Amino acid sequence: MKIAVCIKRVADSETRVKIAADGKSLDDAGVKFILNPYDEFAVEEALRRKEQAGAGEVVVIACGPQTSQETIRTALAMGADRGVLLEAASVPADGLAVARALAAELQGGGYDLILFGKVAIDDSNHQVGPMVAELLDLPCVTCAAHLDLAGGRGTAEREVEGGMEEVEFPLPAVITVDKGLNEPRYPALKGIMAAKKKPLEVKPAALGTAGLEIVAMTLPPERKEGRIVGEGAAAVPALLQLLREEAKVL
Amino acid sequence: MSHVLAVLEQRDGSLRKVSHEVVTGARRLADALGGEVHALVLGAGAISGTDAAGRFGADKVITATNAGFAQYAPEGYARAAAERAKAGGYGAVVLAASAQGKDLAPRVAAKLGMPLAADVTDLAVEGGAVVVTRPVYAGKALLKVKVTAGPAVVSLRPNVFTPVERPKAGAAETVVVPGDGGRVVVKGIKAAAGGALDVAEAPIVVSGGRGLKEPANFKLLEELAQAFGGKAAVGASRAVVDAGWRPHGDQVGQTGKTVSPSLYVAVGISGAIQHLAGMRTAKVIVAINKDKDAPIFKVADYGIVGDLFEIVPKLTEEIRKLNG
Amino acid sequence: MIPSQFQPALPLDRLILKESAEGAGDRMELDVLFVGAGPAGLAGAIELARLAKTDPGVGELNIGVLEKAESLGEHSLSGAAVNPRALRELFPNLKDADFPFRGPVTQEAVYLLTSGAQVRFPVTPPTMRNHGYFLASICEIVRWLGHKAEELGVNVFTGFPAAALLTDGNRVAGVRTQATGLGRDGQQLPSYQAPNDLTARVTALSEGTRGMLSQAWLEWQHVGSQNPQIFALGVKEIWETKRPLDRVIHTMGWPLPSDAFGGTFCYPLEPNLLALGVVVGLDYHDAGLDVHVLLQRLKQHPLFRQYLEGGEMVEWGAKTIPEGGYYALPARRSGDGVVLLGDAAGFVDVPSLKGIHYAIQSGIYAARAIFAALKAGDTSAARLAEYDRMVNDSYIVRDLYRTRNMRLAFKHGFTLGGMQAGLMTLTGGRFPGGRIAMHRDADVARHADGAEAFTPDGKLTFSKVDAVFKAGNATRDTIPTHLIVGKDVTPEAARFYTHLCPAGVYEEVDGKLRVNAPNCVDCKATDVLGPRWTPREGGSGPKYKRM
Repeated sequence: MKIAVCIKRVADSETRVKIAADGKSLDDAGVKFILNPYDEFAVEEALRRKEQAGAGEVVVIACGPQTSQETIRTALAMGADRGVLLEAASVPADGLAVARALAAELQGGGYDLILFGKVAIDDSNHQVGPMVAELLDLPCVTCAAHLDLAGGRGTAEREVEGGMEEVEFPLPAVITVDKGLNEPRYPALKGIMAAKKKPLEVKPAALGTAGLEIVAMTLPPERKEGRIVGEGAAAVPALLQLLREEAKVL
Repeated sequence: MSHVLAVLEQRDGSLRKVSHEVVTGARRLADALGGEVHALVLGAGAISGTDAAGRFGADKVITATNAGFAQYAPEGYARAAAERAKAGGYGAVVLAASAQGKDLAPRVAAKLGMPLAADVTDLAVEGGAVVVTRPVYAGKALLKVKVTAGPAVVSLRPNVFTPVERPKAGAAETVVVPGDGGRVVVKGIKAAAGGALDVAEAPIVVSGGRGLKEPANFKLLEELAQAFGGKAAVGASRAVVDAGWRPHGDQVGQTGKTVSPSLYVAVGISGAIQHLAGMRTAKVIVAINKDKDAPIFKVADYGIVGDLFEIVPKLTEEIRKLNG
Repeated sequence: MIPSQFQPALPLDRLILKESAEGAGDRMELDVLFVGAGPAGLAGAIELARLAKTDPGVGELNIGVLEKAESLGEHSLSGAAVNPRALRELFPNLKDADFPFRGPVTQEAVYLLTSGAQVRFPVTPPTMRNHGYFLASICEIVRWLGHKAEELGVNVFTGFPAAALLTDGNRVAGVRTQATGLGRDGQQLPSYQAPNDLTARVTALSEGTRGMLSQAWLEWQHVGSQNPQIFALGVKEIWETKRPLDRVIHTMGWPLPSDAFGGTFCYPLEPNLLALGVVVGLDYHDAGLDVHVLLQRLKQHPLFRQYLEGGEMVEWGAKTIPEGGYYALPARRSGDGVVLLGDAAGFVDVPSLKGIHYAIQSGIYAARAIFAALKAGDTSAARLAEYDRMVNDSYIVRDLYRTRNMRLAFKHGFTLGGMQAGLMTLTGGRFPGGRIAMHRDADVARHADGAEAFTPDGKLTFSKVDAVFKAGNATRDTIPTHLIVGKDVTPEAARFYTHLCPAGVYEEVDGKLRVNAPNCVDCKATDVLGPRWTPREGGSGPKYKRM
């Protein structure tokens, strides 16, 4: 089974956001960068599928700056076989540009399965996986929290409002994965050693022109200081009225 | 001048409420662009509730049918929506960033070869271009983005665009979509298991802290959660989880879960920074605490000061009445 | 109350294992293993890798560095005003500007504080002068050194705490790492990964302050010192400020009680970023002394408040510092297949508040001695004693000897100690002659708890819970407790631990001790005075960024 996993280097979820001097991006001084957590599920899933099949190759592909090589090494340490970095000074805001670069690399690669995390926790674009599928004309299931593959077909479950949607699809396919699909492994010591010697190819990303332009990045307005509705149980009706009519959450 | 295509959402033959938000957002763009809103609904036949689209500002409601469209058909829907978008020469295409919309919008955008501004919380037209605001870094920053290639494909974060009534003709039109539903086939939707909702996913979270005095008193919160009719989960502060009153999976805050429900009710929680970090992205925060100086009141939208053992049962009773 | 009454012994049966002991998963053979990716271990790995490249005598060396933090630098904390001399020796081709420093020390001031005012010392005491030195974050230095090491082919394994020494007779043969994925009751979770055994021809213990395996080795091999090692606890915060601080500040006096040794520091890192902290010797006498609370009170002093008000505390951390100096150095820091480096060996000069350059220098010497031993095909104690000789002949031991009694003079309090220390400076360390004998910190009696309650305001001052959050601590809550508590801890001792631990790990609830182990930031304070620290699964503990 030949599997590609598209991964991204992202700022850690604990990052304290500071806006850079350009007013358009994150000030990354002191920021810790990690493998996007949803992509970890994707890497794990790929490794398990390959292990089950007993043979195959897991290729991790990232689009991003030079430093993304570290992120690729993390995935290699988990057990992926080789890595490809599509190098770009920065990842554009336009997911379609990223999808084009990835699709160009994936095209003709003979992959049975192309996996993504369902979303990158930095820009929350939630789109590159299905866009790649469209560009490659492959079937795609997004946000899979459960996955069964057999005999060239697959079934998946994805969470929708109020339930789980059951989906059937043929392989090869693009799947974006949700948490709950598996428990990602920690890289083992031997894996970390082995990762250093695994091939990692670096080439420029064919991004094309982006159709989204960042105007500004700002911090969200601070929460307004709370209002004390009243004291004791007598204040409950007033609270409910506010929740219904002002906050509109009931 | 250009028109705006609003791609609506139905389930089991009925229009979903999030579609009202989509029409409202589309109307806002159409007004700025000086055009009409054309609402597109995809289904196997007539969809109930589409008349509402006119009420919220759709000039035209197009129901596009295909035998394979009873359930969401990712590829068929994307093809039909993209073809309609191309044929109509729209200035913008608006969808919901719902579970279905998050799946559909990127496909439509890719078919059009256009960028997708996803999960936006605000939109406007500036100098003829669509400009959106979207949260990034889990809501810790906002990105203002200009769409420089058109038509602009935009998906709206649910529960942000409050539907506004702007009655328009809502002229009904029905077209038949050729072809099939595509290779990816939705077999159905399994209702969520009867078990308790996860705090990280629940639209309403009722959380308790040391103020509840002992583990047995969490029953009060479970009753309150039940009163919300299956939409609420019970969470807990680190202090009570450490004390073994509640399982770790319920913990909100440091090393626990980060939640952003539409309503968060903090009961007997003083509000250490680590807890606040886990819930401050909730849309509306209610705090019930006997200490009027508790830090939780600094982040709460609404607070009640007093004895939670009186307030919570009363709240449960009132919510039950409300939900019939 | 005497803390040692309630302190369990070091669990040597768990810490010293036979090389063939069962229970490990993977096994990996290295040539040299550094335990702890701090300045000492990384400098040693860098020097060794470079020696192996320039001198083909031993062929390619497989060098590993184990680190318990999830990422490089996340468990490192220091002041820090760094003396660059050891870095210059390690990187002869680099300029000071190439090092990861925040900037040179330009102005400095020392104050004696009272609760509402300060008196500036007309001249900075010679041992505290920092001209020619550089302000830096040890986290940043460690990350930088780590990258340099990796560029040279060193294997840096982050997220793998060393849990035991593997031994063969008297020889250290490597270490066993800590298992991951255990549940609260020690049961194996689906994510369980067995410990790994790493064997090496030489194991360099660069664990940092109060290193567990270093302690175990010294005890196992009966390596003593003239005085017991003593420690201080430092608690530090990083603030974004509205007003820039233009100089390095050190203070003495308030808010410390007069019978405690210590002081405070405040360093500018960027125009609007400063570090400040309080350091207190753990031989203090008041059982209610709380270093975290002292730091909170310090910030209310007008001298600091003027900078901090309206700013934001962005990071918090705590760590112990070995303060015993010359007389507390282990009689030897080398043995069969093993060397001890940096803080783990006690290479800290207290009067000048310096340890980083000694750590780096000791790493360089260790690398040279190890390389010579590998070349000779002999890593026995006799061969590796070359490391001790190099350290003894160097400025490390010379500096520590010059200030040998200065810290010790403070054991009876600040006023007398201050006068004695002054005389020592004047006499170049010759006064008073001989050695001031010290007790172990845990043997110093503590008097009744006189702690005044402190209520933080959440803006300038913070609770321990909030502080731990700012340490980035995201330890899994369901790990088994890693702290070994003594038997029959009295309510008095429980309260003592509550004040001692800066991270709110200990609480006295209805006369009983409650342990909130996941709060632990690995500062090791209670390992000195109470419950023993052992490693948790990799990646637990703080995630310091600019400490």
